[in-house]
Amino acid sequence: MRWLRYLNQWRGTAKEALEQVSIVAKFLCLIHVTDRYIISSTHVQGPSMLPTLNLTGDVILAEHLSHRFGKIGLGDIVLVRSPTDPTRMVTKRILGLEGHRLSFSADPLVGDGSVSVVVPKGHVWIQGDNLYASTDSRNFGPVPYSLIEGKALLRVWPPRFFGSLR
Amino acid sequence: MASSFWNIAYQQAMKSGVLVAKVYSFLHVTTNYLAFPAYAFGPSMIPTLHPSGNVVLAERISKPSRGDVVVFQSPEDPNKLPTKRVVGLEGDSVSFVVDPGKNDESRTIVVPKGHVWVEGDYIQNSRDSRSFGPVPYGLIQGRLLWRVWPFQDFGPIGPPTTT
Repeated sequence: MRWLRYLNQWRGTAKEALEQVSIVAKFLCLIHVTDRYIISSTHVQGPSMLPTLNLTGDVILAEHLSHRFGKIGLGDIVLVRSPTDPTRMVTKRILGLEGHRLSFSADPLVGDGSVSVVVPKGHVWIQGDNLYASTDSRNFGPVPYSLIEGKALLRVWPPRFFGSLR
Repeated sequence: MASSFWNIAYQQAMKSGVLVAKVYSFLHVTTNYLAFPAYAFGPSMIPTLHPSGNVVLAERISKPSRGDVVVFQSPEDPNKLPTKRVVGLEGDSVSFVVDPGKNDESRTIVVPKGHVWVEGDYIQNSRDSRSFGPVPYGLIQGRLLWRVWPFQDFGPIGPPTTT
């Protein structure tokens, strides 16, 4: 029965440990809710948004409120869940809302062969600022509005490029 | 005194607030990562679901596969959440009749990567991938698991019943 006595000795410590764990758990919940529903930081990289975003990677602050209230407009840089790979998020600019008519050239390196398209209801047209190195709506078509998950607010890293994104 | 009354009131309010926050957090985690209840209505899933309404349980854990009934955000209207059955996964070749009221002309489409093809069980009155095209995985909210109401049909939601 000695182990029962040992258990009793540890009871006080266990209670304190549980309290500490619950404080950490509450803090993590708060961080999670803020990160997912209010504002979060994201690391974005790749050539598709040059010169607005750097090739080697930037950390940007994105807010997750505007898309729930329909406040996404033309020219906004948005974080979108990729329609071709649901585990990836892409960062592009909105160049067309539903009902807009857009012309784009299917292959900017070749030059001609312009295609005209009307953005269907419930969709948006996203394009990277760097037309020559971006896989966007010119490749996978207009994207349903519900796939938009955030709007970029400002860039926080690298520090010399700190500031709002336009 | 007056100040201690307000003190007590403030403490009670804080305690209730903390309790509400804890309950809300628990519900939030459960409905966003595990399972959530939903009310499904409409004729497009007869005979699997009643047109006049069903309360169902949908889960978010498994990846949708062929034959699952899923809830997803409509690509046509982000405020609508249709419920349809997954008929084709990415890479599948799907054949469908373009306009069943007019003629029997059918089309075959290969479902693109990252998308699924959904159709209602009651083809005659269902707005699905035959109208708005394949649905990206990112729009799928959950897979229907169980019907809770009407009580006489309490039970799992399974494969389409062949007529």
